[in-house]
Amino acid sequence: MGNEQFLVSLTFILLTFGLYIGIAIYNKAKQTSDFYVASRGVPPVFNGMAIGADWMSAASFIGMAGTVMLLGYDGLAYIMGWTGGYLLLTFLLAPQLRKYGRYTVPEFIGDRYGSHTARVIAAVCTIIISFTYSIGQLSGSGVVIGRLLEVDAAVGTLIGVVLISFYAAFGGMKGITWTQVAQYIVLIIAYLVPVIFMSLQLTSNPIPWISYGEIVSRLGEIDADLGLSQYFAPFDEASRWQFMALMFTLMAGTAGLPHVIVRFYTVSTMKAARWSGAWALLFIGLLYLSAPAYAAFSRFVLMTNVVGQPINDLPAWTETWINTGLLQIADSNGDGVLQWNELMINADIVVMATPEIANLGVFVIGLMAAGAMAAALSTAGGLMISISSSFAHDIYYRVLRPHASDRNRLAVGRITIVAATVLAGVIALDPPGVITQIVAWAFGLAAGTFFPALLLGVWWKRANGPGVIAGMLTGLTVTLAYIFAAQAGFQIAGINDTGAGVFGAASAIIAIVVVSLLTKAPSQKIQEEVVDLRYPEQMTYKDGDVWINK
Amino acid sequence: MKKIDKKTADAYYREKNKYIVIFLTIWFLVSYGVVLFADRLQFEMPLLGFPFHYWMGAQGSVLTFILLLFISAKVSDRIDRKYGIDEGENEKISYGKTADH
Repeated sequence: MGNEQFLVSLTFILLTFGLYIGIAIYNKAKQTSDFYVASRGVPPVFNGMAIGADWMSAASFIGMAGTVMLLGYDGLAYIMGWTGGYLLLTFLLAPQLRKYGRYTVPEFIGDRYGSHTARVIAAVCTIIISFTYSIGQLSGSGVVIGRLLEVDAAVGTLIGVVLISFYAAFGGMKGITWTQVAQYIVLIIAYLVPVIFMSLQLTSNPIPWISYGEIVSRLGEIDADLGLSQYFAPFDEASRWQFMALMFTLMAGTAGLPHVIVRFYTVSTMKAARWSGAWALLFIGLLYLSAPAYAAFSRFVLMTNVVGQPINDLPAWTETWINTGLLQIADSNGDGVLQWNELMINADIVVMATPEIANLGVFVIGLMAAGAMAAALSTAGGLMISISSSFAHDIYYRVLRPHASDRNRLAVGRITIVAATVLAGVIALDPPGVITQIVAWAFGLAAGTFFPALLLGVWWKRANGPGVIAGMLTGLTVTLAYIFAAQAGFQIAGINDTGAGVFGAASAIIAIVVVSLLTKAPSQKIQEEVVDLRYPEQMTYKDGDVWINK
Repeated sequence: MKKIDKKTADAYYREKNKYIVIFLTIWFLVSYGVVLFADRLQFEMPLLGFPFHYWMGAQGSVLTFILLLFISAKVSDRIDRKYGIDEGENEKISYGKTADH
């Protein structure tokens, strides 16, 4: 099957890529303003899909179902954390940021707090966060390309680097917005088809979201029979506080991720920003609601067809995965029968192995390959635009070369994309941690820096420049320190490195409030601009009065 | 440009915030609230067959989040209409504001 599978996967990937690149070329950005924010006219439904594609990364597509399968109830912190953050974003930040109307997050922070230093710190934070996140994407896409094209993962990563830098640099965001709509559609179909077939096979019910409840309960019985702790038992892997800290970190990080926020600058009004958030979560929710179904079905198959079987007589699909080293078996007690604790499963194989387990054939596997690539590339593309705009716009143009021409800035933006992608690719060849862990660090940093700075910037007019500088630096330091300390074994209330954002956010909020109150209040003009964010575009706050434009 | 009574403007802001507080309270209860008492909420649900705490984490909370966002978008539109806000006007204003940037 190897050769045929290779051709089918390659054809699917090439066809979908042709589609994305075609769209990117069609929309080729001509002006700087288009390059960064897609000329602000994307309708909310499509913007919601684009946010969805931007948001759902290789980690969501490939890794999350496996994480939920291995962690049981504790893995649900990822499901709730990565969806619940959209409420913080849409209720508390997105419409206001849209009304303030800037191109990038650092620009908002610089202007709102009236501080050049704050802008530069924010630009540096954006680069750190997006870069950390993109390392995870690139190493994820390397694994997918590598395995599906049957080349080495390192070669796969390099192919990914070339593709990402190509259309991020030459399409700009305008290309990317419509490209991402196409990518969302490809990735969601690729994710749903296998799980629906799996549901049909295991429960004769084609609706996985309803049918897997029964499977979850049966898993609990199977675990109890084997003397294991039940699949759905809460706080089995970590403490209750770790669960909540991780969930908070992912939620607050969501509301502070620059490459997601910038999507809300592409809609026309505050109203459109609210609807974009709602549509985005609906589209994202489709995948997140399906991940636990994947997890339950795969675990059920493992428990009934693999565990308890003679080691010499395992199902055929296990062999290819054992060969990749992602599934390991060891008959440690020497009885010739495979026990659950003799099985080592890498979280990343759950989604990818499903078509094989359910015997869905080469076309579905090819579709999965295209979907996983769409997930990895779309997120990486959005991250690269964030890095490039922070550097070219906020550091180069605003600080280093205020007289740079549009063309010059565009060129710097493109060079930044290529350089950042190559650098991230080099690090991704030998990643510093597990992919989900790297991604959680990026969220912790966003939760500790941007979330407090944006929240107080929008809702508290007294917050000032020195306050936000102190806050972002404190949040960054505390989050980083906790990540390193937790890895060395230090813990508060059983919270480990993935929950670091809760400490970062808390300390940053305290620092902003205390330092702001100890220093001079922001200018009258800035305070009026903050009050103005309470009202829709048509209403303006000026000199203590509200005016309506009719 | 027409001046609006300060009271009307404040009422608009308060009404918007009231709903944000209500929605975020529900958001908190279905996520953190259920997690906090997860070990005591393990009863099996009728029909679906899930243990309740697991269902809330995997589906109930996410569905609530989606619903809250759509309801809130609808409610916000209604409040805007009540205070005579015209979306077409908003679009024009925000377009002009960003063009001179």
